[in-house]
Amino acid sequence: MTASASPVCPDLTVQLGRLSIPNPIMVASGTFGYANEMQEFVPLHRLGGIVPKTITVAPRVGNRPWRTIETAAGLLNSIGLDNDGIEQFVLDKLPFLRSCGAPVVVSIAGGTVAEFVLLAEQLDKESGIAALELNISCPNVSHGVDFATDPELCRQVVEGVRHATQLPVIAKLTPNVTDITSIAQAAADGGADAVTLINTCQGMAVDWRKQRTLLGNGIGGLSGPAIKPIALRCVHQVHVRVGIPIIGVGGIMTTDDCMEFFVAGASAVQIGTASFAEPIITTRILDELPAAVNSLGASELQQIVGTLVIGDSAKTSNK
Amino acid sequence: MPMSTPSNLCKPAYQQAEIIAHEQIAEATWRIRVDCPYLATTTRPGQFAMVRLTSRNDPLLARPLAIYDVFPQHQAPEHWQPTPLGSDTASGNPHFVDFVYAVAGKFTTTLTTLRPGDSVSLWGPLGNGFGTPPTNHLVLIAGGIGQTALLMLGREFLATVPSSQVTFCWGARHAGLFGHAEDFQSCGMNTHFATLDGSKGHHGTVIDLLNDMEKNHVFKRAAIACCGPEGMMAAVANWTAERSLNCQVSLETPMACGIGICFSCVAPVLDEKGDWDYRRTCVEGPIFDSRAIQWDAMT
Ligand SMILES: Cc1cc2nc3c(=O)[nH]c(=O)nc-3n(C[C@H](O)[C@H](O)[C@H](O)COP(=O)(O)O)c2cc1C
Ligand code: FES
Repeated sequence: MTASASPVCPDLTVQLGRLSIPNPIMVASGTFGYANEMQEFVPLHRLGGIVPKTITVAPRVGNRPWRTIETAAGLLNSIGLDNDGIEQFVLDKLPFLRSCGAPVVVSIAGGTVAEFVLLAEQLDKESGIAALELNISCPNVSHGVDFATDPELCRQVVEGVRHATQLPVIAKLTPNVTDITSIAQAAADGGADAVTLINTCQGMAVDWRKQRTLLGNGIGGLSGPAIKPIALRCVHQVHVRVGIPIIGVGGIMTTDDCMEFFVAGASAVQIGTASFAEPIITTRILDELPAAVNSLGASELQQIVGTLVIGDSAKTSNK
Repeated sequence: MPMSTPSNLCKPAYQQAEIIAHEQIAEATWRIRVDCPYLATTTRPGQFAMVRLTSRNDPLLARPLAIYDVFPQHQAPEHWQPTPLGSDTASGNPHFVDFVYAVAGKFTTTLTTLRPGDSVSLWGPLGNGFGTPPTNHLVLIAGGIGQTALLMLGREFLATVPSSQVTFCWGARHAGLFGHAEDFQSCGMNTHFATLDGSKGHHGTVIDLLNDMEKNHVFKRAAIACCGPEGMMAAVANWTAERSLNCQVSLETPMACGIGICFSCVAPVLDEKGDWDYRRTCVEGPIFDSRAIQWDAMT
């Protein structure tokens, strides 16, 4: 059947290890607040998943301003995991998140394996959480220990959390490594249900006249369209070499961008910086997605995942 | 007397808005009029909108622009009626919203190239807006492009508070930077200027001007509303605190989203115990009591 002759809405459900979500359009941690801020702009129940801003054990004030600077087709940020800590999160933020009607994936970050485990144990007791996303890619909190640049540490933290909770576990990785596949493999070995690729790329912005960095923190993380090629490369490499389910994120602004991630090997995607530029963007993508999937002649989204062909050689994989 | 915070705020909405008029009105200063019935009928003084160049990746993000003026019944001011009113706009029922902006970077430089008939993406109204000043004499203090946050407040105050009086003090580097000061004068505000080079009004800073005016006891029982560069607002906050005058400031911290989801627009805000924490100015501000800001912890 040709695409245009296929009026049937394709099956958009996604299986990420033990986590099932109704569609692949999720929103990325740190770019959607705690969802209550977005209710005037997005019908939240339509989202495939909501990942609220990363929480830590203790409250954190965050970094000094300026915390974001726009660069060419991108955004540099150093928010510094400004959050009120897990206790306040459970009291103030979780009730609304539970009521949204979309899967809630809680993003956690710790400075030690023990802190990650503590967070997981506490969240395990709460209802209305679909999965945990381990933000092991934020160098600001880890006191120099970087769980996402050392495969063995990555495996340990994922395994620790796996033992602490029944919830599906997703590891969110940084692109700031030489070989992302070794880290993703370690996450898989530790028992991760899926990996989220990628967190921001380290960068800097400079005011040469004042001879100063523009970010209060000096160095920050780059997001937005500028990093999409990096994210696509990471998704592709991990899909081919590791084969764990992937949530693709990085620079997605349009439905076409989402489709690029799917064929490169992502089973789902997260929309990040695009929500700042266009708060209604997820709704638009959700409206356009069925036709885009149909246009490849697919009746299920999963049929197109990882169908990428390199140059004009044979298809890389379609597992 | 505490000031009351506005409770009658409307929800923000995302809109495409057609540009009705767009002209340079002073050095590096432009005025743009868009057709946006929703904003025109819902905005409170001191609120802002996020304005974006539709579908562009560079510049990528929207910028916060103070809502300078609204014309729900399209009764635009005499001195700026650049296009026939009620012309064939997209909605057929134009309700104008005006923004005045300083050309400073990539976004604003690109914005100046848009023409009537083009459109922008925008969302608003955003932010808390000004509280009702606890007085019948309101003093508006603007530095640079800060007048944009103050016009609606002053005019509404004159129209709604019995036997009210509004004094408007505007400081800039030089005379060429004052655009459409008539907007303030024509609705009955008592207007004073200060320039660093003495090319218009008082020769010196706004604080120098205030000190000079104070000799005539102008500020007795007055309340202040202030918007301008950070250093100038800190100075005004200090000046008003010394005189125990109520002062609201409109903070212009850089914003990436304007709606509370990015945590980039923070300012150090004091709580009852005297400790400060970073608060998002886009949702908890941009208007704050000047005494609630920990000025020495700002950027
Ligand atoms: C302002 C900002 C704050 C962020 N905060 C977090 C965070 O708290 N936790 C996290 O895992 N990722 C955080 N991220 C990273 C995003 O979730 C996402 O991985 C990254 O921005 C790349 O996607 P994008 O290009 O679509 O924004 C943040 C990104 C931005 C721009
Ligand atoms: S500008 Fe994003 S939270 Fe205020």
